[in-house]
Amino acid sequence: METGDWQLVWFTVWVALLSTLVILPFGLAVSWWLARREWRGKSLVETLISLPLVMPPVATGLILLKVLGRRGSVGGFLHDHFALDVVFTWRAVLLALCVMSFPLFVRSARVAFEGVNPRLEQIARTLGAGDFRVFCTITLPLAARGIIAGCLLAFARALGEFGATVMVAGNIPGQTTTLSLAIFSSVQQGEDTRAYRLLAISVVLAFLAVWTGEWLNRRRRAR
Amino acid sequence: MALLLRHISLPLATLTLAVEAELPGGITILFGPSGAGKTTLLEVIAGLRQAPQAFIQLGDEVLTDTARGIAVPARLRGIGYVPQDLALFPHLSVRQNLNYGRKTGAAANPLFSPEHVVRVLDMAPLLARGVAELSGGEQQRVALARALLASPRLLLLDEPLAGLDAGLKTRIIPYLARIREEFQLPMIYVTHDRHEMLALGDILAVLVDGRVAQCGPLREVFHRPANLAVADLVAVETVQPGRILRIAGGLATVLVGTAELAALAEGLPAGTESVYVCIRAEDVILLKEGNGPSSARNRLAAVVESSSPAGPLTRVELDCGFPLTVLLTRQACAELSLTPGARITALVKAPSIHLIAR
Repeated sequence: METGDWQLVWFTVWVALLSTLVILPFGLAVSWWLARREWRGKSLVETLISLPLVMPPVATGLILLKVLGRRGSVGGFLHDHFALDVVFTWRAVLLALCVMSFPLFVRSARVAFEGVNPRLEQIARTLGAGDFRVFCTITLPLAARGIIAGCLLAFARALGEFGATVMVAGNIPGQTTTLSLAIFSSVQQGEDTRAYRLLAISVVLAFLAVWTGEWLNRRRRAR
Repeated sequence: MALLLRHISLPLATLTLAVEAELPGGITILFGPSGAGKTTLLEVIAGLRQAPQAFIQLGDEVLTDTARGIAVPARLRGIGYVPQDLALFPHLSVRQNLNYGRKTGAAANPLFSPEHVVRVLDMAPLLARGVAELSGGEQQRVALARALLASPRLLLLDEPLAGLDAGLKTRIIPYLARIREEFQLPMIYVTHDRHEMLALGDILAVLVDGRVAQCGPLREVFHRPANLAVADLVAVETVQPGRILRIAGGLATVLVGTAELAALAEGLPAGTESVYVCIRAEDVILLKEGNGPSSARNRLAAVVESSSPAGPLTRVELDCGFPLTVLLTRQACAELSLTPGARITALVKAPSIHLIAR
């Protein structure tokens, strides 16, 4: 393996992990609100969150590019006030991964929260526990399996994301190129050996991710 | 500690819960047909469900007063709740379940110390186990102990013995009786079971169609049901329509079938003519030779229609101008040779005949 490959693997894993960590708190809050509360506009929010799952990733990427570009509303604001550029940087990769894997996490975590018997939370309250304690000691542990599965799904999605990333972050070697982007450009440029080497690496990564998830679940079940 | 429930109003799918009651303490049995709103009422008292209109006061603390916008959250009410499904925390051990709501320091009532609760409920052998490894009766005790360790001021029990077989029931009832004695804890206890009711109840509150049809000392509700629905629910054996012929000196003469009965007229609305006559089967005395004087006002010539065993007792159906059901021991039944067609005298004291305006 060449030094460039190491950097590539490191960047891909790092940014996928970071995106999973970033969506975790928001995803938990949103899925809890969807699972446990009724509010106006709930179905609209549900649809919006699921949109990146059904839309072509490239289209989602294009939306992000328009919004975050220097002439876009959010991008312009960030550039003018914080001198912060998002598109075609690693931040754009992170953002694309977050947007693409968020719905997968929410779907999984929401089902997990819905599976927790609300009766248990009520009884915890009659035993003197406040909302935060109920969430941490009853809801979260009982939903943990689904939440772990959601993290794994989100991480796996982030690891392989292509369409949205290439639109909003480009394919700049050493800066925004991820494993999937590198495999694509290797094939494009006829560098077959490199493409196969990267392919092998992604197989190993996928194997490790799935295996870790299974292991975590088995450990929880054993307790 | 008395519990005051005033103008509670909560619309449900098929009825509106509308409750007015004052529960003085001890064990109050909440009784009523399924779907009458019993569980919902417990949830409202515990603060787990908000009623659009309610006033709830425990001792001298107002827990809910919708008129003044008071709604003490469930976690601060100090009301223990053991739901029908027990709701043990499946991911925690028995010990962790017990400790979940345990009060420590100044908030803890020394009466509800872990040592005391564990001893009263024989919990010691269960502590190290997981919740899934417990039998039904053990789960029941863990749920009770968990509620007790939170030092509650009131305990709500929703059909705590419903899922258990008869043998287990008879083993758990003494534990509940011990809780009543050892912890001086008022309880509201939902049950359909007559045996539990009689073994544990001090007060009986009958809930029919979302309303408290009657609330009073258990014996009184059993013997003097306020209306036909309550009489039916507490299974008064003889309920017959009758007509008041005259009232003199507080004593009413009532025509039932072809018989005339003397009953106390107290509590009847003035001008009542049509009534239901309620007689509990164990309040009837049978006499072979019916000639001597007796204190019982009602002396009825009767013919035995049929008899059938009812647990340790025998249930005898008589015809004395109207159908009358009598419960007596098997020995008494044998001594009186109560075979169908036998002639017998039935004695009923006037206070044992309860009249409900119709």
